[in-house]
Amino acid sequence: MRLARAISLRLLFGALSLLFVSLVTFIAGALAPVDAATLQAGEKATLADVQRLRHQMGLDRPWPVRYAEYVEKAVHGDFGDSYMGVKEPVRDIIARCLPMTAEIAFLALLVSSAIGLSLGTISGVYRNKVPDRTVLTFSTLGVTIPNFVLGPFLVYIFATKLNYLPVNWRMDRPQGDFYYLLLPVLILAARPAALITRLTRASMIDTLQQEFIRTAVAKGVPRWRLYLKHALRNAILPVVTAIGTNFGILLTGSFAVERIFTIPGLGSRTIEAIVSSDMPVVQACVLVTGAMFIVVNMVVDMMAPVLDPRIRESQV
Amino acid sequence: MKQILRNPLLLVGLGYLFVLVLFAVLGPSIRTAQLRQPGDLNFSATTTAVGPVYAAPGTPKLPLGTDEIGRDEVARLAAGAQVSLMVGFVVQVLAVSTGMLMGVLGTFTPPWIRMPVLRFTDAMFAFPDILLAILIVGTFSAPDLGVFPVIVALGITAWPSVTRLTVTQIASVKDREYVVAARAAGASLPYLVRKHILPQVFPLILAVSMVEMAGTVLAESTLSFIGIGVQAPKPSWGNMINDVRSGEITSHVPQLVFPCLLLSLTIFALNFVGDGLLAALDPKKG
Repeated sequence: MRLARAISLRLLFGALSLLFVSLVTFIAGALAPVDAATLQAGEKATLADVQRLRHQMGLDRPWPVRYAEYVEKAVHGDFGDSYMGVKEPVRDIIARCLPMTAEIAFLALLVSSAIGLSLGTISGVYRNKVPDRTVLTFSTLGVTIPNFVLGPFLVYIFATKLNYLPVNWRMDRPQGDFYYLLLPVLILAARPAALITRLTRASMIDTLQQEFIRTAVAKGVPRWRLYLKHALRNAILPVVTAIGTNFGILLTGSFAVERIFTIPGLGSRTIEAIVSSDMPVVQACVLVTGAMFIVVNMVVDMMAPVLDPRIRESQV
Repeated sequence: MKQILRNPLLLVGLGYLFVLVLFAVLGPSIRTAQLRQPGDLNFSATTTAVGPVYAAPGTPKLPLGTDEIGRDEVARLAAGAQVSLMVGFVVQVLAVSTGMLMGVLGTFTPPWIRMPVLRFTDAMFAFPDILLAILIVGTFSAPDLGVFPVIVALGITAWPSVTRLTVTQIASVKDREYVVAARAAGASLPYLVRKHILPQVFPLILAVSMVEMAGTVLAESTLSFIGIGVQAPKPSWGNMINDVRSGEITSHVPQLVFPCLLLSLTIFALNFVGDGLLAALDPKKG
């Protein structure tokens, strides 16, 4: 029962977060120097023309009314039309760009978790020995070096010099998606992988000092079974909780990575829209990115009590 | 103090940052003076061509060569250092002052002020990483505004974590005996906060803000790299890296390597200094 209450509280908090993000994007749209009316009126329009159009489009109504309408439309997937070109519905743009970004982000999440967990476990087990030192050096590099510095560097080695991998994303992709996705996913995963490594290491070291581990050692549990089954299962919880934050890093990281590889995802589309002051697209992209972040965080928070009975018990 | 002097990484970081500040402050003017020719009346370090396009590094006059329109790389790197350090510093000053103010408001005010402040701080975490900064820059950015939108956007994105830190730190300090004793002796709340609580909390916030400053420098260069931060012709390490597109890496290695190197080293140095200060403040973790 308490668990059900905790979950519904978390859902409520997620819904409020979504409302907050939508409010902020709405305000951004309302404050933007160019609005739909000025754009439709064209450059030669007088102020009176613009005012009349604004009235026709309902842009002069009080903002709570407009915000309610904005939310209602957004819930139905209607984000208006783009200001640019053929005035394509923003919904179609999102539907085209989102799968790309989501695919790369989730792949990077998997890769970074796999790398981070294994390196972090090794590091924690061999604390202060050579493997640990090596892993720590790499994780410090991974945390510090920006992905748009790592990007050109890896592209230079693997694409330009060795010619193993492609420099850019291609629409037709003759060699299969894996070949084109490898570098972007690795570059995107570097920073979260390094963060997860550090976290797993710290958590592992902490766990290995606890009494139940000593008991297990005394019982004669084989070494690696002890690490993987007894210790890692306990050490993994903070790592799972951190997936939420890491997913956020992946989402904003994809802005730079998509630009490096000219991948037509949500990130590069957002930038394109910002550069051309295409506010409806900017709003929708930010809203969708924020929504993904909130939902993933919500799922992660709900997984914690499932993974750890202690949290289940102490849940308010 | 002793711990600070004993930590080699911290000293290296401080040394690097000191040299970088000197380079940022003096670099552009020295280069401009050196490169000024009798004919170049309107020479400026960042906009006017001074040499051949994509000159190779190594000549005494242009030690790091020139960029795609013949601008001196050393002068541009120095100007980029100015931007990064200025943005990093100003944003952190804004974030720490706002964040601490909100943290104090979130602890010592009646619930009808406290709760909205704290809930608003929580709500700010609904945005991942620098997405909010991207939205703000996207809404207000105009080339003639310079670095101002970047500073505002990153400042608004950075304060909530300072507030969270301040609230937890104040919570750990405010019921300590010396504070309770001072209150029993009749100290007023503003006096307590000013004299007894904030001085306890501030060093830690300062150390954390050094680490956060690394994040700000990274965020600024990310925004500039993706093309919505500092706009050309004003150089920033981020837009200098972006100027060398991936197809042409081989031919323009120096133009790519130096801004990458300076940016990475700066982030390293800020992290070293911040972590070093944190370790010095908390001997248990050091």
